[in-house]
Amino acid sequence: MASTKEKLIAHVSKEEPAGPTNKVTVVGVGMVGMAAAISVLLKDLTDELALVDVMEDKLKGEAMDLQHGSLFLKTHKIVADKDYSVTANSKVVVVTAGARQQEGESRLNLVQRNVNIFKFIIPNIIKYSPNCILLVVSNPVDILTYVAWKLSGLPRNRVIGSGTNLDSARFRHLMGEKLGIHPSSCHGWVIGEHGDSSVPVWSGVNVAGVSLQGLNPDMGTDKDKEDWKSVHKMVVDSAYEVIKLKGYTSWAIGMSVADLCESILKNLHKCHPVSTLVKGMHGVNEEVFLSVPCILGNSGLTDVVHMTLKPEEEKQLVKSAETLWGVQKELTL
Amino acid sequence: MASVLQKLITPLSSGPLEPPRNKVTVVGVGQVGMACAVSVLLRELADELALVDVIEDRLKGEMMDLQHGSLFLKTPKIVSGTDYSVTANSRIVVVTAGVRQQEGESRLNLVQRNVNIFKHIIPQIVRYSPDCILIVVSNPVDVLTYVTWKLSGLPKHRVIGSGTNLDSARFRYLMAERLGIHPSSFNGWILGEHGDSSVPVWSGTNVAGVSLQKLNPDIGTDTDAENWRETHKKVVDSAYEVIRLKGYTNWAIGLSVADLTESLMKNLNRVHPVSTMVKGLYGISDEVYLSLPCVLNSAGVGSVVNMSLTSDEVSQLKKSADLLWHIQKDLKDL
Repeated sequence: MASTKEKLIAHVSKEEPAGPTNKVTVVGVGMVGMAAAISVLLKDLTDELALVDVMEDKLKGEAMDLQHGSLFLKTHKIVADKDYSVTANSKVVVVTAGARQQEGESRLNLVQRNVNIFKFIIPNIIKYSPNCILLVVSNPVDILTYVAWKLSGLPRNRVIGSGTNLDSARFRHLMGEKLGIHPSSCHGWVIGEHGDSSVPVWSGVNVAGVSLQGLNPDMGTDKDKEDWKSVHKMVVDSAYEVIKLKGYTSWAIGMSVADLCESILKNLHKCHPVSTLVKGMHGVNEEVFLSVPCILGNSGLTDVVHMTLKPEEEKQLVKSAETLWGVQKELTL
Repeated sequence: MASVLQKLITPLSSGPLEPPRNKVTVVGVGQVGMACAVSVLLRELADELALVDVIEDRLKGEMMDLQHGSLFLKTPKIVSGTDYSVTANSRIVVVTAGVRQQEGESRLNLVQRNVNIFKHIIPQIVRYSPDCILIVVSNPVDVLTYVTWKLSGLPKHRVIGSGTNLDSARFRYLMAERLGIHPSSFNGWILGEHGDSSVPVWSGTNVAGVSLQKLNPDIGTDTDAENWRETHKKVVDSAYEVIRLKGYTNWAIGLSVADLTESLMKNLNRVHPVSTMVKGLYGISDEVYLSLPCVLNSAGVGSVVNMSLTSDEVSQLKKSADLLWHIQKDLKDL
């Protein structure tokens, strides 16, 4: 006797359904991972989302909660497992796994804790998605992107750190507030290390191509009566501030990850400040990852925009590179 | 000496700022409230979002975290405060405040705890947004929507409970999975109480207009060899299951609230199963809120679709109504 399904639906196609075309995996279902997942889902970026973590109950619960929202989404397949086989054939793998910053803890202090976690995660990802693009979010992101690159064996164009994409977004938000303009119309780039020593490139800050530093040559210095320098300071302090108030940050980083995923999955060739290998640029001699403006598309990070930096700005990048290398060379990979 | 702002920008129109046209307020910045907020933001439904709560630090932190994402959003103003004045001129107010179900606790046990919180919240909301539409999410949602209606003094069509919008979404997902199709192509309604005694209307379940009950007259009964009834049971158990696994539910309810908000904000006249005042319908004589298919537009609940229910389904609704009234009649200070 035919089942209800058989009476209702006649299968007509003999072909095997093709696999996912733009699968995204999120490793780590903490607050950041789930914020990235919901942002990717609400932006309709993917036809399959995979979640991985070590905490099995939490992982299953998060997957179920997302699946229950399927009616409202355009991502037909949401899967989750402790086993990395569920991540197979991913185009982009977002790595948020690892310990988070405690209140007042600097990102560099997290390092070795997260390196050990990556030694398990990264090879597993590559095993099942050898052609993927790795997007590293866990902090300290510049060091961990280097670690992910080393552990994965992937070419440098396929290992990207979320870097200062978020710092720049915060900068543009604050700039927008100061000027009464939407952040997308306020242009400003924060590059270098994601964190305390990020570099705001004041010469590039503009609205409609009008250089703000051209209008105010003191911008970014201590003499500046409008104290634009404090805008950058607020960006640096942002994470600590939000962590102090709500315990962690999630929404902004989640949205910024979805923004990067969009450029990659849709092959947009959009320019984003993300963390990449900068050896040989701006006077940096070490094998370190720092954020500079990069072109993102479906092969990953294909080009770097060479900024015209002031000597002090290049010095800051070189100094960051030295600090990062100082930490990296002590790591057991 | 002119500032950068003055040198850069020449204002053309002066005068007071325009009030927001599509403002949404979310009361309660717990996991549910924030999932609602993020879904509303990412669906670009509001030109202003206000957050209210009693825990100041968390409230400020959540607001800042959302503001830091404003580059990626189309909601230019995100505000928050413990004072309800930040909610002024809202078109829609989503109430998620209150204590959440503990593991194993049924929704009905939450009642008096949440009533006391609402006595503080609802009058303040209405004071600052007298023309708003209230969407109540806090559990037990049907009772609390009644409570909200009483405390607000608003006409009944402007007080909606998220009701079985989520149950129906879960039902459609689970049924669609069994059939290998997208949930939006599976039509099925769960009505009545959001929770243990919700009513799956099997007669209405269909794909492309083909009634599943006609293909399988046993559907939903104990004699059904395919045990489709199990799917409804899974819907009822869903919340408890997710709570057991991750401590709470938030993403699905957040998405479902954004779906309701879209219909209300854009005057869509879409039909959703939401909790509305059902006295006078289906032989119900008490003032209770239960979920029925409601046409939602910018005035709120424009009308209710009269479903053809079996006598068994009607008696289930009546039974829920009696249960809810039994609780409501003992509530103090409404």
